[in-house]
Amino acid sequence: MESPSDAGDSLFESLSKQLNKEKVDARAIELEERVLAQNARAQQRLRELIGSNTTLPVTINKILLVGGGNTRHSFLDRLFNPLLSVNRDLPYTFGEALHEIGSVATKLERFGIFKEPVSTFIDRPSPTDPNTTVTDIDVFLRAEERGRFSAKTGTDVGNTEGSAYAEVQLRNIFGGAESLNFNASAGTRTRSSYHAIFETPVLSDPDKWVSIDALASSTQKPWASHEEGLTGGGIKYSWTTKSGTRHQLGYTGVWRQVTGLGEKASPTVRHDAGDSVKSSITYTCLEDRLNHPLLPSRGYLIKTITEVAGWGPLKGDVAFLKSEIETTGALPIHIPGIKGDSGVSLTAGLRGGFLLPLGLGFNGPVKHSRINDRFILGGPTDVRGFKIGGLGPHDGGDSVGGDVFAAASANLLMPLPRVGKDSPLRLQVFANAGRLLPLQDPKGKGRAGEENSLRELSSSVRRLGDALPSTAVGLGLVYAHPVARFELNFSLPVVVRRGEESRKGLQFGVGINFL
Amino acid sequence: MPPEPAPHEAAEDLSHAPKQKEASFIKDLFSVPLPVKKLFDLVPLVTYSPNQLPQRSPKSSRIPSLYIFSTDHDAAAGRPSFNPSCLKWQTFLNIAGVHYRLVSSNNHASPTGALPFLLPPAQSNPAQDALPVPSNKILKYATDHGGQIREPSGMRYEAYQSLLDHRIRNAWLYTLYLSPGNFSSIAAPLYIHPASSNPLVRLSLSHSLRSAAAAELLKQSAVIDANDLHSEADKAFEALSSLLGADEWFFGEEAPTLFDASVFAYTQLLLDERLQWADAKLSTALRRRANLVAHRERVLGRYYGR
Repeated sequence: MESPSDAGDSLFESLSKQLNKEKVDARAIELEERVLAQNARAQQRLRELIGSNTTLPVTINKILLVGGGNTRHSFLDRLFNPLLSVNRDLPYTFGEALHEIGSVATKLERFGIFKEPVSTFIDRPSPTDPNTTVTDIDVFLRAEERGRFSAKTGTDVGNTEGSAYAEVQLRNIFGGAESLNFNASAGTRTRSSYHAIFETPVLSDPDKWVSIDALASSTQKPWASHEEGLTGGGIKYSWTTKSGTRHQLGYTGVWRQVTGLGEKASPTVRHDAGDSVKSSITYTCLEDRLNHPLLPSRGYLIKTITEVAGWGPLKGDVAFLKSEIETTGALPIHIPGIKGDSGVSLTAGLRGGFLLPLGLGFNGPVKHSRINDRFILGGPTDVRGFKIGGLGPHDGGDSVGGDVFAAASANLLMPLPRVGKDSPLRLQVFANAGRLLPLQDPKGKGRAGEENSLRELSSSVRRLGDALPSTAVGLGLVYAHPVARFELNFSLPVVVRRGEESRKGLQFGVGINFL
Repeated sequence: MPPEPAPHEAAEDLSHAPKQKEASFIKDLFSVPLPVKKLFDLVPLVTYSPNQLPQRSPKSSRIPSLYIFSTDHDAAAGRPSFNPSCLKWQTFLNIAGVHYRLVSSNNHASPTGALPFLLPPAQSNPAQDALPVPSNKILKYATDHGGQIREPSGMRYEAYQSLLDHRIRNAWLYTLYLSPGNFSSIAAPLYIHPASSNPLVRLSLSHSLRSAAAAELLKQSAVIDANDLHSEADKAFEALSSLLGADEWFFGEEAPTLFDASVFAYTQLLLDERLQWADAKLSTALRRRANLVAHRERVLGRYYGR
């Protein structure tokens, strides 16, 4: 500080004689450095202390969760009991104990019922307590529970669709991280949708969840001149393996209604109008090793979906085996002359799937696939350069879907000049292709039968490659917004089949899942 | 692609010239530049023949398709529909001599939400495909497509038509949907069971079908009185019976008309041996009119090969 002067005049002077800015900055930096150094020293001391004590034998006598008022005791017991030394054969070293405690704290955070972070304290019990031994430690976890009720409204972006929603969530209902979520939404394609889901972790494990859901919705399908109403529900079991692969096994029963047909609806769509019940078991496996969900530059993703409907005890009105695989790979490309990450990357995607009609129930008749079970292909988020459902069989103006498909895409992403590689903007050059086919009886008998449908499937799979696939190329701009990926592309179709709806020129795509 | 200007736009008078200029500027702005257009004309480089249609797609046909309530088997054999309004138009087309094929369907397929409707044959160019013809335009369609149509008209005809459309139809709605025995023995197997095999869905559909029938009846009277509906229908049968008298066809025509088809639509279903009525009051009332029974046999024999 400047030495204060005694005259009033010079006081004013000294005040007006502002401290020079550089000096202030220098001091602030100095102060900051000192604090940092102090912290670092403290941490270092702590580390040394812990380090020198990691091999110290300890026993965990007591674990206390502070601030878990609404959380069930039995729920926490499953998490904490394995930690208590009473329940272990071997004694802990201090290091092991810290590690275990840390992993329990992380688990607690993952249930989504506590505000992050959950902090940990360790204390020695009072030596005067006759119940304790010298190696005993007490563990305190401090957590703050999140509100048990929340409601929100907002807008959402899905693949080729925008919607507005209202959501009500009840958390930690029975004190075991159970949640009930009710969601109502209306969007550009979804006229209305109501979805309720109850979720609970299994045996206090944040890697295993069971959910029960109910759904009622009505969605427009303009590419096939109809509207589909869904009413149904299901139960799902989801689990994550140690390596991070996510699995889900579920049963779904849904009543579908193909209704509200357009004036120009084709005979194929009219033939499939009406009710059907799908009762199916679905297994999904997802291995996501991409470094960014929307703009990956490294890694890979593999997703498989397998669904069995109507077969054996499943009953319902449709019976089939449907299997789908989706893969994406991304590779950074080094540009000579640019050190480190150039921001240029190549992503490639490959998808395929088939639908095999099965006998309904036990030895029931094999029926041909319906429009709401078949695949559709094409659109700004999968095979670009085609309209939604633009590929595959068309009856009049309707895209009626197919039973076997394969699609591939290669995109070269480059940062924009001047904007740089750290922005979420990229230029892309792409080529993509796809083929979507119905099952056909090779002998043209038109009779359905289980061994017949297998033969038809293999003949259709062979036909996937008998000519060039429908292909489009183009270039465009990609913007990876945190919520969704936006693409504006200029595309040109190269190979098409008559009836398929390609798009020459600009095409805009919004989605979370691109080919 | 820019929308083509409407033809009348070009013929606007001169006072609108600046506006026109502006419009053409905007049009230029959105039109495809020439080099791009040339590029567009080059692609696609390869065009293959169209994909085949899925196996469930109906085979295309050169004749119109009449979508009715039926079973696949009955539709293929050209048997009478089990729904009165479908049967009326099916019979009418047979009388008019229009060639068509039958497709067994349900109300969801119809542009009006109710069967029957007629789907004209597909054209080689999908853009020229004609729109489906709802039941109230089938008469015109048949006339336009060379059907031989004799159509009675006048006050008397309309009065008798209203007997069918109200008194007999109401009694039919009650007998089929609201009379409990008949619903489970006849309506459910015909209308509900083909929709889905799921018991919950069947229950929900049954409920909505029955409440729709009740709502229809309540439009015309404040309460649903079974006896009243039956006696009204009985009177209507009596009136029709005396109208027909000893004639072969209604209104003394030489050949059957749409009116004969309308009467047949109910008499066939009430007298059909294949339908086991648990509550047979309405068909008993009909059986008492021998000339109506004979009329049904005549239409059946002449147009359904029996």
